[in-house]
Amino acid sequence: MTLSGSLVARIAVLVVVVVLVQTGVISEVPVFGVVVDLSPLVVAFVGLLCGSTLGAATGFALGLLVDLALVQTLGVTSLIFTLIGYWSGRLRELRDPQATLTPLLVGAAASALATVGYSLMEFLLGVDAPVSLELLRQIALGVVVNTIVALPIWAFVRRSLEPSLPDDPRRRRRRAYTTGGLSPLSRA
Amino acid sequence: MYDKTVRRRRAVLVLLVVLSLILLSAYFGEASSGGLHSVQRGFLTVVSPIQDGANKALKPVRDLFGWFGDTLHAKSQLSELRKQNDKLRKEVVADRANEHGYHELVGLLRLDQLKLDSYRPVTATVVGKSPNIWYSTVWIDKGTSSGVQKNDPVVNAEGLVGKVAQAASDGAVVDLITDSEVGVSARINGTGATGVVQPKVGEPNDLVLQYLPANTQANRGEYIVTSGTVASPDDSLYPPGILIGQVSSVDEESAYKSVNVHPLADLHNLDIVQVLTHTLSSKPGRLTSLQSGFSSGSQTGAGGGESSQLASTGAGG
Repeated sequence: MTLSGSLVARIAVLVVVVVLVQTGVISEVPVFGVVVDLSPLVVAFVGLLCGSTLGAATGFALGLLVDLALVQTLGVTSLIFTLIGYWSGRLRELRDPQATLTPLLVGAAASALATVGYSLMEFLLGVDAPVSLELLRQIALGVVVNTIVALPIWAFVRRSLEPSLPDDPRRRRRRAYTTGGLSPLSRA
Repeated sequence: MYDKTVRRRRAVLVLLVVLSLILLSAYFGEASSGGLHSVQRGFLTVVSPIQDGANKALKPVRDLFGWFGDTLHAKSQLSELRKQNDKLRKEVVADRANEHGYHELVGLLRLDQLKLDSYRPVTATVVGKSPNIWYSTVWIDKGTSSGVQKNDPVVNAEGLVGKVAQAASDGAVVDLITDSEVGVSARINGTGATGVVQPKVGEPNDLVLQYLPANTQANRGEYIVTSGTVASPDDSLYPPGILIGQVSSVDEESAYKSVNVHPLADLHNLDIVQVLTHTLSSKPGRLTSLQSGFSSGSQTGAGGGESSQLASTGAGG
């Protein structure tokens, strides 16, 4: 993935907007008793669109911002989000999944990784919270709710970054077929 | 070329992971006055006004979503609240009579008590909230410039909300009572038995009143209020009599007697809160200084064990 200034600027704006909207609005509107967490979804989708290096860097930056803004232990969220961004980027580089449901599955996996990773880190850091049925229910519900919102968030992230993404030959071909311009059928 | 790309990609990953681990270790190891904590406070100072503006701009959206949830919740609570209202009306009549006699006795004994009006409440708007279930914190738009200090109690119309964890000039972070960092000395309003309210382990939205005397009688629905004492030298000095929650069930099986408590304040929908600030010369200020004196005394080994519960505020439970 070629690194352009415009793409980095768009990702930076996206990261700041996500943190502000997450802490100011989304966190105050519980759905089924849990809060939608946009951050892992955005990190995973940036990785899916821009590759592993940008995905990991976005994950680190967004995680650091979240830790700073919410006065949490610095480094915990950065570490988890770096790994999520890198993983989704590698998924794109190795498999390049094109199915419509890909963002849904990637979103679910990213949310689950974030929640489980966060729980593990908290246990390692000594937070007194043994696994209970209620806690597992909250984690599972959180992943489900995040999965529900994954598709609109994917559309938003893609729309925000697409103008600065290098043109993908396959996408260009699909667009051409849709408009009819380069379709072999239209030439016939 | 391919090798170079792979090496660069791996180097970036390793660098970011190592950087995260260094941050984590340094932050975890340093005191709250350390460099990284100061950076965090500085960030809070810079971002608070932006967050405040964003919060106000996006309030209609939040209210719209909140309206649906609130309507459903209100309907389910209506009949229960009607019953509670009838019960409380009777209790108020009885309490008025008791209160009159109580004030007379306090006057006779010349007790200098700490009351809620000894504090200077600062009204603040909640402008942010932690999204994950491990941290129960909110972000308010008032800070040290309004007199808000670390450990100041935070309340709303329904009851105790939490305490100030960090204060910057124009904003502060509040640890909610459901945060694992918070413990509140409390008593059962009916019996006067005292204990410590802490988050219920594994259930992030509930509380438990622990370390009660073995013979404590507690009934479902009884109110839990702050006792006006501190449970540890570094704790917040909550004024006595602030509502915390209602007993939801009694745990007979644990070694210590404990009761499960459901918080009265709706911690998911906080909008306006009040920070109970105080000046150094006020009674809460003097008690806090005394408390910190005991705290530093305990660190040097001078009677530290007795410091907890010493900064009593005369709750008179």
